[in-house]
Amino acid sequence: MFQDRRLGLALLAPATLFIILGFLLPVAILLSGAFQTPTGWGISSFTEFFAKPLHREVFWRTFRLGLYVTAISAVIGYAVALSIVDASDKGKGRLIATLVLPLMISPVARTYAWVVILGKTGIVNQFLTGAGILDTPARILFSETAIFIGLIQLFFPLMVLPLISALENLPRDVVPAARMLGANWLQVFWKVILPLTREGLVVGGTLVFVGSLTAYVTPAILGGSKVLMLETLLYQRVSVANDFAAAGVIAIILIAMSIITNFVLKRLATARKGGK
Amino acid sequence: MRLLLSASLLGLVATSAAAADKTLTISVYGISQDAYKEALYTPFEAKCGCKLVVEMGNSSERLAKLEANKAKPVVDVIAYSDANALEAAGKDLIQPVDPAKLPNLADAYEFARDPVGGNMAVGYTFYGTSIVYDSDVIDGVGSWLDLFGDKLKGQVALPNVSTTQGPLALQMIETALGSDDPKFAKAIDLVADHRDDIVTFYEKGGQIPQLMQQGEIAASVIGRFGWANLLKTVPSARWATPKEGQSGGMNVLSIVKGAHDPDLAHQFIDYWLSAEVQQKLAEGQVDSPVNQKVTVSDEIAEGLTYGPEMATAIKFLPAKSMLENRDAWLEAWNAKVAQ
Repeated sequence: MFQDRRLGLALLAPATLFIILGFLLPVAILLSGAFQTPTGWGISSFTEFFAKPLHREVFWRTFRLGLYVTAISAVIGYAVALSIVDASDKGKGRLIATLVLPLMISPVARTYAWVVILGKTGIVNQFLTGAGILDTPARILFSETAIFIGLIQLFFPLMVLPLISALENLPRDVVPAARMLGANWLQVFWKVILPLTREGLVVGGTLVFVGSLTAYVTPAILGGSKVLMLETLLYQRVSVANDFAAAGVIAIILIAMSIITNFVLKRLATARKGGK
Repeated sequence: MRLLLSASLLGLVATSAAAADKTLTISVYGISQDAYKEALYTPFEAKCGCKLVVEMGNSSERLAKLEANKAKPVVDVIAYSDANALEAAGKDLIQPVDPAKLPNLADAYEFARDPVGGNMAVGYTFYGTSIVYDSDVIDGVGSWLDLFGDKLKGQVALPNVSTTQGPLALQMIETALGSDDPKFAKAIDLVADHRDDIVTFYEKGGQIPQLMQQGEIAASVIGRFGWANLLKTVPSARWATPKEGQSGGMNVLSIVKGAHDPDLAHQFIDYWLSAEVQQKLAEGQVDSPVNQKVTVSDEIAEGLTYGPEMATAIKFLPAKSMLENRDAWLEAWNAKVAQ
């Protein structure tokens, strides 16, 4: 666009400077706290962090819940995305609008709605006791189940939207062709649809997993301090214990988990492609 | 003539500059600032002809700031908890107040006059901490151990150890278990044994009214400052008076070491302790008064920790114990309860 490349670079400079000074530098200073030891530099903050059973448990819980949320979102997401792609143009618009609507509501409001729904006198327990499935209301709030439900609802659209776009790019004839060649629906999905839409799955999977790892409001309200996650633990370390070293360690773990997930999922997608 | 005029003009400028120079920087909790402005800040500015600069934030944040600015203090007077004051004294961040310069201190409850020793702080407000329960669900709560009884099983929310109320609840549970161990070992063990029966360990007292209204909990432990709000949301809620007594806490004022104008700082503290200001803050249900001359109606008193009977019944957790054992409580709690 520009004859002189320097002009382009000059236009980029203010934004770059802002990112460096306003984001990268402060983050680097904050995270470097995790590598500071009383005698200099080292990784003792990390070993100390993982030496505590509570921290190990919180780490695994965060990882496990992220994985569950991603897997279940993918399974239900494919079903929803397939039916949306299959709908008429008008129906498609309405379905997508319904899907996106929750994204426009604040996570705090959505999560508080779950407090009411999942509570002892909420509709879930009213149904369970009314239908005779349970004698007394179940304790759902302040449990891993509550966090899981909240996270699924929060991030589900982020899985479906990339899947819809991937399915729309699927060549129209491949499914009928596979069927005519004798494949059953499961084989069609597993051998045709899944390989051809895996990029959508990688994008959706990364968004959902990383989102689940870093969400704060949902675990804080639905889990409380009884079911700590890495992000609620981070907040506790900073606000209560003024322990910035541990907070830095948690932040680094979260960033590393996000980058590794993206890398692994991308690798999985390209490996399959290359294998063909 | 002209010379005279300019000289007097110069003089005028100098005096107004001096008046503007007379400022007092205070560091306070960020809550109810509108009420403080009306009852305390604006009247004081009018009285002293000075300017108040108000810094706000939670106490640990403000204490950290005080420490960072130790060589060149910015703040003159700081409001925080008694345990914070003891910590600040230990770090040589504050200087003693001179009781002779605080005539209103004589009207304060005995426990508020020198709560951390060495005249390092004076109490300006205090609160009781006790059990609250829903009288629609349970008839009454007579002991701190009732929180772990069969009647309340699966219906109790306790404050997390990291909150201000957490250690106060543990203190009373330990007392109820017949022990005076400052490490609260027995209390923490008891909570750990009943971990699955406790609905949640709350971090913000503001959650409690909602949880009780929804029938999620039937009892909890809160500070008296949250009581008016709970009663408004849950009219069937009751403030229990357990046989072991109630716990409580105190907020205090200190003068920062190297304060620019210690006399002005004393004036400000004395004004805050005056019956006039404490009355206004009590009527607004902002702070429970330490000044014994304050009188309020029963309706207002319901939202406060008020009166000598309630005040003397409170078993304050000593600031020293808080400071010395906090890490041990956190560690034991994380190892046994938080898992």
